Amino acid sequence: MLLKVEQLSTHLNTRAKRVKAVEDVSFEIDRGETFCLVGESGSGKSITALSIMQLLPADICSHPSGRILFDHRHDDGRIESVDILQQSESSLQTIRGARIAMIFQEPMTSLNPVFTIGEQITEALQLHRPETSLREARERAIDALRQVQIPSPELKVDEFPHRLSGGQRQRAMIAMAMACEPDLLIADEPTTALDVTVQAEILRLMKELQTKTGAGILLITHDFGVVAQMADRLAVMQHGRIVESGPASQLIRQPQHPYTQKLLASLPENLPKADRKSSKSAKVVVEVQNLEVHFPVKKGLFRRTVDHVRAVDGVDLTVKAGQILALVGESGCGKTTLGRAILRLTEPTGGKVMFEGTDITAMQRRHMQSFRRSMQVVFQDPLSSLNPRLTIATALIEPMQAHGIGADKDERIARAEQLLQQVQLTADSLWRYPHQFSGGQRQRIGIARALSVDPTFIVCDEVTSALDVSVQAEILQLLLELRDERDLALLFITHNIGVVEYLSDEMAVMLDGRIVERGKTADVISSPQADYTKKLLAAVPRVKF
Amino acid sequence: MADSIDPSQGFARRVLRDTFARTSARIGLAWITLLLLFAVFAPFLANSHPLLISQGGQLSSPLLAHLSPGDVALLGAFLLGVGLAFVSKLSWIKRIALYVIAVLAISITANLFITPPKLTIYEQYREAQKIERYDWVIRAPIPYSPRDYQRDEGDTGLEQPLAAEQRRHWMGTEANGADLFSRMIHASRIALGIGFVATGIAMFIGVIIGGLMGYFSGWVDMVGMRLVEIFEAVPTLFLLLTFVAFFGRSLYIMMVIIGITSWSGYARYIRAEFLRLRQQEYVQAAIACGLPLRSILFRHMLPNGIAPILVAASFGVASAILAEAVLSFLGLGLVDEPSWGQMLNQAVQSSSFYWWMAFFPGGAIFFTVFAYNLMGEALRDAIDPHTHNGG
Amino acid sequence: MQSYILRRLLLMIPTLLGITVVVFSVMAAAPGGISAQSLIEGQNLEPAAKRAMEEYYNRRYGLNQPAPVQYLLWLNNISPLGFELNQDNELVDFGFKGSDLGTSFLYGRSVSELLAERVPITVLLNLLSIPIIYLISITIGVYAATHRGKMFDTGTGITMMALWSVPTMLAGVLLIGFFASEQYWRWFPTGGLSERSAQDMPFLPHWSDWGDIAVLFALMAAGVVLFSQLSLRLARRPRVVLMAIIGAALAYWMAVSVAGGFGIGGTVLMMLTLAGVGSAIGVTDFQGLRTFLMGFTGVVVATVLAFGVMQGEFVRGFLFDRLWHLALPLLCLTYTGFAFLAKLTRSSVLENLQADYARTARAKGVGESDVLWQHVFRNSLIPLITVSASLIPSLLAGSVIVESIFSIDGMGKLAVEAVQGRDREMVLSITLISGLLTLVSYILADVLYALVDPRVSYD
Repeated sequence: MLLKVEQLSTHLNTRAKRVKAVEDVSFEIDRGETFCLVGESGSGKSITALSIMQLLPADICSHPSGRILFDHRHDDGRIESVDILQQSESSLQTIRGARIAMIFQEPMTSLNPVFTIGEQITEALQLHRPETSLREARERAIDALRQVQIPSPELKVDEFPHRLSGGQRQRAMIAMAMACEPDLLIADEPTTALDVTVQAEILRLMKELQTKTGAGILLITHDFGVVAQMADRLAVMQHGRIVESGPASQLIRQPQHPYTQKLLASLPENLPKADRKSSKSAKVVVEVQNLEVHFPVKKGLFRRTVDHVRAVDGVDLTVKAGQILALVGESGCGKTTLGRAILRLTEPTGGKVMFEGTDITAMQRRHMQSFRRSMQVVFQDPLSSLNPRLTIATALIEPMQAHGIGADKDERIARAEQLLQQVQLTADSLWRYPHQFSGGQRQRIGIARALSVDPTFIVCDEVTSALDVSVQAEILQLLLELRDERDLALLFITHNIGVVEYLSDEMAVMLDGRIVERGKTADVISSPQADYTKKLLAAVPRVKF
Repeated sequence: MADSIDPSQGFARRVLRDTFARTSARIGLAWITLLLLFAVFAPFLANSHPLLISQGGQLSSPLLAHLSPGDVALLGAFLLGVGLAFVSKLSWIKRIALYVIAVLAISITANLFITPPKLTIYEQYREAQKIERYDWVIRAPIPYSPRDYQRDEGDTGLEQPLAAEQRRHWMGTEANGADLFSRMIHASRIALGIGFVATGIAMFIGVIIGGLMGYFSGWVDMVGMRLVEIFEAVPTLFLLLTFVAFFGRSLYIMMVIIGITSWSGYARYIRAEFLRLRQQEYVQAAIACGLPLRSILFRHMLPNGIAPILVAASFGVASAILAEAVLSFLGLGLVDEPSWGQMLNQAVQSSSFYWWMAFFPGGAIFFTVFAYNLMGEALRDAIDPHTHNGG
Repeated sequence: MQSYILRRLLLMIPTLLGITVVVFSVMAAAPGGISAQSLIEGQNLEPAAKRAMEEYYNRRYGLNQPAPVQYLLWLNNISPLGFELNQDNELVDFGFKGSDLGTSFLYGRSVSELLAERVPITVLLNLLSIPIIYLISITIGVYAATHRGKMFDTGTGITMMALWSVPTMLAGVLLIGFFASEQYWRWFPTGGLSERSAQDMPFLPHWSDWGDIAVLFALMAAGVVLFSQLSLRLARRPRVVLMAIIGAALAYWMAVSVAGGFGIGGTVLMMLTLAGVGSAIGVTDFQGLRTFLMGFTGVVVATVLAFGVMQGEFVRGFLFDRLWHLALPLLCLTYTGFAFLAKLTRSSVLENLQADYARTARAKGVGESDVLWQHVFRNSLIPLITVSASLIPSLLAGSVIVESIFSIDGMGKLAVEAVQGRDREMVLSITLISGLLTLVSYILADVLYALVDPRVSYD
């Protein structure tokens, strides 16, 4: 037994209130084992990890009860079981980094921007192995980078973090964590901020390192696919408590607790597929021909344009009424730019956009007005999708006013109430402000706003990417209902293949500004043609039953 | 994850409440309110003209007779403002519009109808009292006007507070014999006036130019940035000196000039905010909805970007007051009107230190600037979400 | 990076031109404008002499031409590339020539000469201020941030805010009034940069008796050691009591040494105030600052004792005399700077202490003080550097006031005189110089910023 957490409680005391972040949590981790803590946001899983490392600010955190027993391996080889909660700060500093290491979710901000990654790795080495000379430490840093499969490690060791890609930064973090050969690695959502192909590689890397060093891994995540791939045992957390725990395969196949059951049932692959009503008309709503969006790169003394960033590089698309077209790709492929270009939020630099037969590519602003009514957008970030100064009522009524819908204010308010009911919110939400709603509720309001002008086409730009999986399931089902009722055409932009499978009729895979594969969703998923699509699909972690 | 279960509270009201929950902001507000009252009621607080005289059974009020149009207009504007603040039926935009129109009307009528006598002899009341011509007299609390140089008492100069027996000068007198307390009260008008008007002008110019730069970018931005750089690169004080020295010293010119030299900060803030806001999703959604430009700018972008401007304005009022004080101190300020800076200038002369000339006017400047800085800090803390959570 | 610097330098030129256009238009648009008549109005001359003077001015400065022409003439004069003026003041030859800033109306001397005299003094004042400001503000800011919410933090927070609100002129007037005048304590000179007699003094201070030097240094060393040890060894209460007593004693001595005396009320007030200051120094947990301040007190006490004991003659020396004269002006110039920067440092350090990379460093086992000084500190400096760009213009503005109050013949004082006297050449040249200094400081700040933060690149 490497780590044993017994009835741990962590309370956070801010000026305003006292939050019981973690209550009565117990679990064990053995050497060489991967243990997953799963839960939605606010469940307390990160706080648990930070409690183990004692990284929470001392003035606001307190542990009213519990023990954290750790097999501390001293320098002379002797192993002593210590209670982390009772250790002094100097003793903890010998444990942190040397025996228990931690990696975090956001590699960009978690690395110090003013030091090279080599310097940051050697710092850990020299701290815990003071007898290492500088040159030796540097050699070991390069070696550590090689172990995490960073290309040309002897060059990268002198690079600053911002010059590495997201995946490389996370590898560098892992190298830094593993440099002193810790017995336990705590990973707090290490791949959530990464593309799915990169995620697959990082997870594989972690498994390899574990096999090689025999370290234990405490993996914190909200993604059951990751759990299925990595975990030996797992525990599910809700509201600071563990609701269920046990061996991974067993728990996933036969969840006992209703919350776990709900979580698993909310996964897109497990959602019940409703019968698709065939669309009333196979009318083409949006057609894109050879669309290009190029951004100039200016360099030099006189800011001459030396090159172009080809965000969208010759794309053809068609979306029909009542159809959901999923646009899939990893970060930087241009899918968001494509969505915005279709809406003329970003100006296309080449090609054509046709809406219901009319060429709107270069149309004047005042002529666009009637088209703007028919094409709407819902965005990703629930925090900034609504104007914090306006009531919900104003946010919904304003577009109606701009397009002359509804005869007077009362009628518009009535329509707004109806819209809220359609997205399953109460009518009195009208008079509240955005900050009084949760993320999922704000997305519903965003959808209501898009519907307020009766559009025929909606671009959904990563609308569920910032939501918990259970909330995501509700929003997806809502979208399907609305699509059926109103015969909407939806362009659904996402990076989540599970959602694509559940939601869309057709899908298009995008890479470097181009569409590499397109077709009916079922066909593409079962037999992908392009190499990139194959790679993408293979990388998606599945929850196997 | 809902933040708080407040009843619906607009952003503005919440910020105001948080700002003035702090003691420091309350102290600042208290001082400014005190100054405001001083400024508005100055002729009633410090005046050589008695409020009421009974002379041989006949009542007369020299004080009221000698009120200038400016005094009356200010009184009227103040009372109107207080009154309108309590009429909550109208929206605040309508209230401001109504206020501005009413104030203009009052000023014009005051200028037309109120004509104080041209000749004022302050000494007559004291002389009359000496020979006991009056039955009874009610005077203002400080029975000296700012320009009453007390020629009847002989050649007084700088005098310590409460130096002389018969006359009570609570803060002493200044070089030409006038009572210091009275001049300080009247000087608060200039201080507050310049503070508000100059900052208002600077904000107006800055927000317009900065807003255009932030929204349109391109060559508008380039030209605007060059303008901002020019006005930033000249040390403000120096430009002020040049303006004032060459254009003469009128109160209105000073207000305008201080305003013109300080707009660049506001422009930068608004530009940065607009650049940030343009990328915000609700602005993008508003554009996609086809909302008119005017609505996007004034309803969606401006209210969300105004916060740093308000903080800067609070500090800006403080620095405008300081700027006027510095100019007066350097001898380039207004000539006859009382001004704190000019009084401070008299504190050190030929190696003698007249401490009351430093403490009182200097203290007034200090407290006023301190008050605005306190309020600005409290406002900034209330707006910034980081410090909101305290951790 | 080089192309960036080059671009900025090139962009500086239109901005500088813009500044001079603005100032020139202000002068030209003013009632009375700049014409020969306004210059000789005040003088009592015969009509013939007046006309001759007018001719002269018009010829020399082109004052009878319309404003835009005057501006172009001036521009031609200052640029190294332009037309030469011959005997009759006509334009001939186009080519490289020296740049001539003109002649001051007020002083009758060449502007370049005047500037060469005065500018170094202002630059000296400002250059001395900058390290003082940064040193004090970083010390206070970092400590306040690491001890957030405690006494030091709230205490210094309010003090800094109050300091920042004190207008420079008030501080200057108070300092001169109390510490440099006949009526109170004449510890500092009233003005100027050095005494007349200082020109003849040797550079370093000089005592006539070797024994005196020995006594002085011995006492100073003893004072420092004694007080530092007291700071480190004593518990809080005895420290507070000790410093309060010293403060009160100092206040008493000050009160009685004033000519007219202060009266009971004033004396008691002063004693209480200084006792309060003393106890504030004694009570703080900030060991470094406290030991430094107490050691300083020790040196002061020792020096006072030593000077009382020494018999021989003491000659101040040029260096010391200069420093003595600069002490009050520097204080006046720096206090607003460090009040503002201390707050900025505090908030920057606070923000960085909570940053993700600091958490990673702690997770590696780095000790808290190393997290602060090795990781957080450099990142916290970044906003300080950005702000330093605007520090120079505010210092220049400050020196205008400070130089006027303390009668220091620097550029600021010259500016005030030039503007009051409507000295066109001088005003334009000073505008040019201060604009140049400001823009150069902006460029320097941007370059420094790129050096400190590897994420910033200007390509």
